[in-house]
Amino acid sequence: MSGLSDVLALLALPFAASAVFVLVHAYLGVHVLRRRIVFADLALAQLSALGATVAFANGYPVTSATGFGYALLFTAIGAALLTLTRSLARYVSQEAFVGIVYVVATAATILVVDRAPQGAEHVKKILIGSILTVEPADVAKFAALYGVIGLLHWLARRPLLALSGESAPVGRARVAVWIGDFAFYLSFAVVVTSSVTTAGVLLVFSLLIVPAVIGSIFSDKLSVVLPIAWSVGIAACAVGLAGSYALDLPTGAAMVTAQAGFLLLAGLAKVLMFVGIERRRRNLRIAVTAVVAAMLIALLASSVGLMIVPTGDQPLLAFVERVTGTGPTRFLGPSERDAYESAARDVVRFQGEVDRLNAMEKAARYQGAPLSDDDIRRIASYQKTFNEMTRGERFVQEVLRAKAQMRARWIVGVPGMLVALLGLLWLTRRLWIESVDFARSRLQS
Amino acid sequence: MRAGLLGLVMGAAAELGTLVAAPALAATNVVATTTDLAALVAVVGGNLVTVESIVPPGVDPEAFEPRPGDLGKLRRADLLVRVGLGYDYWLDALVKQTGEKRLLRGGDAYLDASTGIPLLEIRGQSVVNEGGHAHGVANPHYWLDPDNAITITAGVAEALVRIAPTQREQILANRAGFLSQLETRRARWSQTLAPVAGTKLIAYHNSWPYFARRFRLDVIAFIEPKAGVAPSPAHLARVISEGRKAQVRAIVHEPYEPEDASRFVAGKLSVPMVRLAVSVGSIDGTSDYLALFDYNVATLAKALGARSP
Repeated sequence: MSGLSDVLALLALPFAASAVFVLVHAYLGVHVLRRRIVFADLALAQLSALGATVAFANGYPVTSATGFGYALLFTAIGAALLTLTRSLARYVSQEAFVGIVYVVATAATILVVDRAPQGAEHVKKILIGSILTVEPADVAKFAALYGVIGLLHWLARRPLLALSGESAPVGRARVAVWIGDFAFYLSFAVVVTSSVTTAGVLLVFSLLIVPAVIGSIFSDKLSVVLPIAWSVGIAACAVGLAGSYALDLPTGAAMVTAQAGFLLLAGLAKVLMFVGIERRRRNLRIAVTAVVAAMLIALLASSVGLMIVPTGDQPLLAFVERVTGTGPTRFLGPSERDAYESAARDVVRFQGEVDRLNAMEKAARYQGAPLSDDDIRRIASYQKTFNEMTRGERFVQEVLRAKAQMRARWIVGVPGMLVALLGLLWLTRRLWIESVDFARSRLQS
Repeated sequence: MRAGLLGLVMGAAAELGTLVAAPALAATNVVATTTDLAALVAVVGGNLVTVESIVPPGVDPEAFEPRPGDLGKLRRADLLVRVGLGYDYWLDALVKQTGEKRLLRGGDAYLDASTGIPLLEIRGQSVVNEGGHAHGVANPHYWLDPDNAITITAGVAEALVRIAPTQREQILANRAGFLSQLETRRARWSQTLAPVAGTKLIAYHNSWPYFARRFRLDVIAFIEPKAGVAPSPAHLARVISEGRKAQVRAIVHEPYEPEDASRFVAGKLSVPMVRLAVSVGSIDGTSDYLALFDYNVATLAKALGARSP
């Protein structure tokens, strides 16, 4: 199973499913961005979850036709509500209503689940998703469904895109606008309802928005935006899946993070590569300055913190110690260092003992002579003792670490603060000179 | 005339008083956090107690959100029975809110049912809560070993007798009756599962160490090692490969968890997925403590192909 072919077999279906998702979601995402209602998918997905839960509470399995009917009915109601928000948009932002629909649908789901607890499983599933365990039949079903919806959208692309682009459609019959909006939201609802149970709310949301945003960074034209969104979205899914396998991470969350990473790269590419040489140089300088300034501020805060509360936690110091491998014993004497290291060894040893006893007990559950209840109690009391001793050793380590930091208080704190202050001063001066130059050059031209 | 009226009123009040007070005096009001403990209190208390659980049947006790009515339940309680070991961690805040000292740890009306139980899988109390939520001290699913019911009912009986000493004989008789039933059934359960002793299983969560120890089963891996965090592909691949190597014969799945991952692993290993009840009332046909084991034992035996006697 651990061979490469097995891994590929495990990841092939999730990848196929996510590619299918990207194709339809990125396209709908462009619409959603133009309509300025990015949270509509969450609202619709939650309404579909509510529908499925209500079906369950009435005794119909979620996967049955009736269950699906309930889910579809509730999302259709959601589509109708979203259609109505366009006429309300004159008074308040549409996004506010979308948010209200989402929150109320979530709360209603919790209330229904409370009456029919078995539905909780379904709600959990919608949040986390299960793209890793998607089945071939599901992928085929998605592809067929999205194919039909894609075809319908392609046939009606002109009026739909026009409606998405206009906040107050002019020269159109009100009924035509309503029908167009409702048709869009309904198709959107069907897509989201089907994808959310597999991919989960988080992943669906990011597939919908992130590729469309990346595409929109580079162009306004649909014929440019879509190819970029599709290719980048699919690449991000592949990277997320591979990362999830290589680093042993939950799949959905890893894929969402990968999308965000690609968005960051796209943003950097936009400001550093797709601009004129003058502008690029300027952007690069701003980026470097910002990074250096952030590092200097962290150093300043850390040094001042060390001087004010020497025994407190020092994340930056601990990070430097971990990276350089010096450990917290630099400011300890030889005997103190020995004590620190032996405490560290004992922690490992005691926890090893606890694990060993657990393994022994576990093995005795099903092989050899069973352990009596008194044996188990004895093991438990040994383990508790080891845990207490571990705590003692950890306490020793903490005391020694505090001692070391107490000694480092001025030796590290003062130089750290001075370096940070000088650096920040230099940065400020440079920025000042630059802005003066910039203003002068503006004046001359 | 006046004295007559007063007498009439007092007489009526006295009558009303006895009517209302009689059952309240007789029945001890017990609140248990979970349905399992409520079921065990019910068999020991019989008709001498009224018992309710805070977590309704079929709700995951580790993901439970208390509601205002629970405060009233707690205030009315003569005895509060909890699982302990961090399983019903939300109880502490709830009790604090009632302000009743007798319901606090060490109070007269407080019973931690884990007292005296031989505990399994004690973990280090590190700063980070590794290995999932609420399993900080020991694995808390101890009621899933039928022998632990002996210890739990002993604690319950002692507490009930302390509250109502006059009912001592009845309570002890109730418990003895239950224990003799338990012994008969326990023998039958062991007999049913004896042919499959040593069988390797995979479980969704780590809910079964006590059950596995009593019936000599080996749960080799867990599909979702941390509650609420979906398994990574590497973890799933590892579980499948270990399952294949160990020749796992079934996937045990708890209710209130999504089934996809369990079904997926079961499909890869071509073994059945078995839904077993962690708590009384979480699956149809598990309405009391003995029925819980009847159901779990029969379902598991059937899935593993052992004949039920």
